[in-house]
Amino acid sequence: MLLDIRNLTISTNTANGRVNVLDRVSLQVDEGEIHTLVGESGSGKSLIARAIMGFLSPRWEVQADRLWFQDTDLLNLTAKQRREIIGVDIAMIFQDAKSYLDPNITIGAQLSEAVLNQDLSGSFFKRKSERKAKVASLLHRVGIKDHEAMMNSYAHQLSEGAAQKIMIASAIAHRPLLLIADEPTSTMEPATRQQIYRLLAQLHARYGMSILMISQDLGAIMQQTQRLSMIYSGQIMETGGADALLESPSHPYTEALLNTSLYRHAKMPPRTRLPTLAGAEPTLQHLPIGCRLGPRCQYARPPCVKTPSLEKRQDRQVACHYPLHLDEGKK
Amino acid sequence: MRIYVLRQLALLIITLFLLTVFAFCLSYWFPGNPVTNSSGIFTDDTLRYTEAFEARGFDHNILVQYWFYLEHLFRGDWGISLLDADPVFEQLKLRFGATLEIALLAMLLAIIPGIAFGVLAALNFRKPIDHIILSISLSGYSIPVFWFAQIAILVVAVHWGVLPIAGQINPLFHIEPLTGSILLDIFITQPENIELALRSAIRHIMLPVLVLSVMPMMLLIRLTRSSMLDVLDKNYITSAYAKGLSTRRVIASHAIPNTMQNVIRELGSMLSLLITNTMIIEVIFSWPGIGSWLIRSIYERDYPVIQGGLLMIAALILCVHVGLNLIHSWRYPQVRKDLNAAS
Repeated sequence: MLLDIRNLTISTNTANGRVNVLDRVSLQVDEGEIHTLVGESGSGKSLIARAIMGFLSPRWEVQADRLWFQDTDLLNLTAKQRREIIGVDIAMIFQDAKSYLDPNITIGAQLSEAVLNQDLSGSFFKRKSERKAKVASLLHRVGIKDHEAMMNSYAHQLSEGAAQKIMIASAIAHRPLLLIADEPTSTMEPATRQQIYRLLAQLHARYGMSILMISQDLGAIMQQTQRLSMIYSGQIMETGGADALLESPSHPYTEALLNTSLYRHAKMPPRTRLPTLAGAEPTLQHLPIGCRLGPRCQYARPPCVKTPSLEKRQDRQVACHYPLHLDEGKK
Repeated sequence: MRIYVLRQLALLIITLFLLTVFAFCLSYWFPGNPVTNSSGIFTDDTLRYTEAFEARGFDHNILVQYWFYLEHLFRGDWGISLLDADPVFEQLKLRFGATLEIALLAMLLAIIPGIAFGVLAALNFRKPIDHIILSISLSGYSIPVFWFAQIAILVVAVHWGVLPIAGQINPLFHIEPLTGSILLDIFITQPENIELALRSAIRHIMLPVLVLSVMPMMLLIRLTRSSMLDVLDKNYITSAYAKGLSTRRVIASHAIPNTMQNVIRELGSMLSLLITNTMIIEVIFSWPGIGSWLIRSIYERDYPVIQGGLLMIAALILCVHVGLNLIHSWRYPQVRKDLNAAS
């Protein structure tokens, strides 16, 4: 197992007291796997990514039974130890890629920062040209042919798709084992999004790196996704093989999200009511007790005020007292 | 970019033109005779008065008068002082050097610690170091410069007696004023005891420069700190960390350059403040600069001097502003982009 998160709880102090923004989240990513984490905005999915990278500011308190990458405990690292992992074995790309590029430095200079000295073989004086060649090859790998022009341009001259390609190029500079992609395509048009997905799929196929993809739309996840995790308001709802989950969701939340995505309803007759999830995602100040989906769940019953734990049910893990579409006889 | 440079230069020229128009009008607006106000020659000096009257075209209409005014301006004939009949332009040239000398030195002295402490405070946001730096800078900023200067003289020069009280150099040295800047003049004239002269000049210049540098330094600290805090919140800082760069490299190659963008933009407005302070300091330390001369001329209603000094200082501030704008857009690509979008 490449990344193993068990019972990750992230809490912060608000005006209404202490709030667990993430509530005992467990997430596993295997070697060479594309794992998509789906959740609405504010569900805490980016927090998970930032906790892995160690980017959280001190106002977030992180606790976990396990937060391991291979055999390293990511929770107790010195800054130096962290640098040996972050940017080398774990890389990350972001939503709104343009704002993640320094506006005052050329793309070439920013990319060459990602090339470590230890990856260069030549003598001190040859390093500069070697570095440049390395950057050019990185650009070629993400499908940018005119590397000379790209290296001399600035962030504001790029399109969103090109900026994301630059971010990917800098992320794969060291052939990371795990690439965390935090909604990399959410601000893009579908055609550009497909390009980025294709690029990621190619890199995945060529280097076998694992991808933890974070997405807020079940209808626009990467087609090659092998495993899906659903997160709602800081709780993992369901985890399992992507095909199985999309075929027959067991958790009411997964089902509701699937129902809101377009392709299930492409053939609905006129005047039918669209299925939606009633209400809105709870704010941090008013988190419900127990299962946080409870107030919005059409299947909710009194026991739902107790938080269900993520339990293995057949081919998946579900955190629900009354899972759907499961053969009850087997239970 | 080229268009932008041209536009800035055009702006500079137009503003300078308006400035000369204003300065020309002043000789009419000031009470008294406009010929006297612009040339500094009194009406009772009949012969030279008629001369000036004709040379400045006062027998023609006002446009011709303005033309002659410009001609005199570019010839370096800015009239003579009403008080001591010194030619204004020659005096201004010398005094301008002296003013620039302490203003620039104070600026230099302010920039390095100002930026360093600002960065330090931002990096230790809301920690004790930050609080200490902030409160020192706030109190330093709120102390009036004239009071601070007098206290500094009292403590350093009078009580401790380590530095001289006022003046540019010990009057025993005779340094021919060429540029007005005492340090430069010493290097140019090369007196026999150059080492002693230099030492004396440096001892004299230390206190005014120190006092003068306090205000811009404190301002810079606050400016750098807030700008740096903004930058540290930016996404590209996160992605720099995500590349696995060390904190030191992130700060040095991403945070500080981007912080400086805002700081450079604000430097211009700091300069006007600095010049005002320089004038006060010059009076207190009897520094023979533009400021002390201008303040005297305002008291004595020495109109040719007021006119000339105003022109000189306003032109200086304008030029610096335009220069900073150009540097700003030359150094920062995304500023350039916005400019192109605007043009």
